[in-house]
Amino acid sequence: MWFFNFCKSSIGRKFFMALSGLLLLAFLAVHAFGNAAIYAGSKYFQFYADFLHNFPVLVLLASVGLGSVLVLHIVLGLSLFLEKRQRTGRYEVYARLTENTFASRTMGYTGLFILLFLIIHVTTFVFAPGSDTPISVVVMERFSSFFFSLFYLVSFIALGVHLNHGFFSMMQTFGFNHPRYDKTISVLTVAVPVAFLVIFGGIPLYFMSGAGASFMHH
Amino acid sequence: MKTIDLTLKIWRQKNNDALGGFETYLLRDISTDMSFLEMLDVLNEQLTAEGKIPVAFDHDCREGICGSCGAMVNGIAHGPVKLNNLCQLHMRAFNSGDTLVIEPFRSRAFPIRKDLMVDRSALDRIIQAGGYVSVNTGGGVDGNAIPISSETAELAMDSAACVGCGACVASCPNDAAMLFTGAKITQLGLLPQGQPERKERARAMVTQMDKEGFGFCSNERECQAQCPKGISIRSIARMNRDFFRGSLFGE
Repeated sequence: MWFFNFCKSSIGRKFFMALSGLLLLAFLAVHAFGNAAIYAGSKYFQFYADFLHNFPVLVLLASVGLGSVLVLHIVLGLSLFLEKRQRTGRYEVYARLTENTFASRTMGYTGLFILLFLIIHVTTFVFAPGSDTPISVVVMERFSSFFFSLFYLVSFIALGVHLNHGFFSMMQTFGFNHPRYDKTISVLTVAVPVAFLVIFGGIPLYFMSGAGASFMHH
Repeated sequence: MKTIDLTLKIWRQKNNDALGGFETYLLRDISTDMSFLEMLDVLNEQLTAEGKIPVAFDHDCREGICGSCGAMVNGIAHGPVKLNNLCQLHMRAFNSGDTLVIEPFRSRAFPIRKDLMVDRSALDRIIQAGGYVSVNTGGGVDGNAIPISSETAELAMDSAACVGCGACVASCPNDAAMLFTGAKITQLGLLPQGQPERKERARAMVTQMDKEGFGFCSNERECQAQCPKGISIRSIARMNRDFFRGSLFGE
């Protein structure tokens, strides 16, 4: 069957890797937009969280969808990562001529680090707090720990590095490589990770720098 | 005439089933005007005179257009000079006292025949799967019957410059043949003659490529950096597009 053959093929697997990456990117964009309310103060952030939970069915559907996409991305990514490890190291001497390969060479490792982050993130903010503690209070409490904030900052740097190669790779896999798009893609390859690093990474910095002390007052 | 002395560490292997290993050779007074293969010829004459078995390596035209030769020299396909086949690499690229590690192009799909000689017929089978245009009846078509813009012809020629040496496979961290297959799909896909079989071509060639045991692509661009003919990964993007179309709408 054509669909089954497509999924099995080397390019098909890369296509689903890119497609799941795109969906995760879309989720990140919405998540970053919502979280930016933190900078406005706890009142606004709490309002945003409460607003979302007014639609429990929608939240459930989105969570299940997001979870499935994430699992697909991880399973495909790991299978590519393991296959790659099997194939490298076949030479006594092996040199790389491509410059700036840090992001592409570390995709598997940054990916696994982000997975570790996700486990901690979800257990901290989704499952752990009882429904009686407002989320804005939990956020304030957690980020008041220096090491917790530092871990978040490092995770967002890993995310930025992962997205740097991920974005370019996604465009290339989808077939967007043409002189007409070169400029746009090379700008976005840097701009997209930097945008997420600023919005997400700013949150732990906000609390670490002491600026977050006024968080609960707004 | 400038000459240099070299230490060579060369991979020696009797056949695909035998266990291989490195042998070290010292070469003196090598002219910097020699090509890399001429340097190996000198080594082989020396080995023959000593009653030893010469190093086996593939070569044919020795002018960079046939794609027969190739080896990893210090970890780079075809050696340190860019846009160059091994036969067109000259000894002036090296300094006296250098140690050169010379290994065959390694891939799961390239069995080693002997020493630096590998069997790259997997690439031929990818072409056989769809890298052609069918002209099933009548005489040869007049060359100028179908107008083609100069730009399109040039772009197609850029991909047609691929000599199938296997450097892309050898240098790829994933052992993939995507650049080769992409180039073969692009050179026909850009021209009017390639259109009737375009979707089926991509589907068939990619299927054969997977069957041969080549790896996947993680867009590291190493193939593009090491290709002696400067084939661009744009051809891989084109292959992806043609493959989607072939899978979704092909016959």
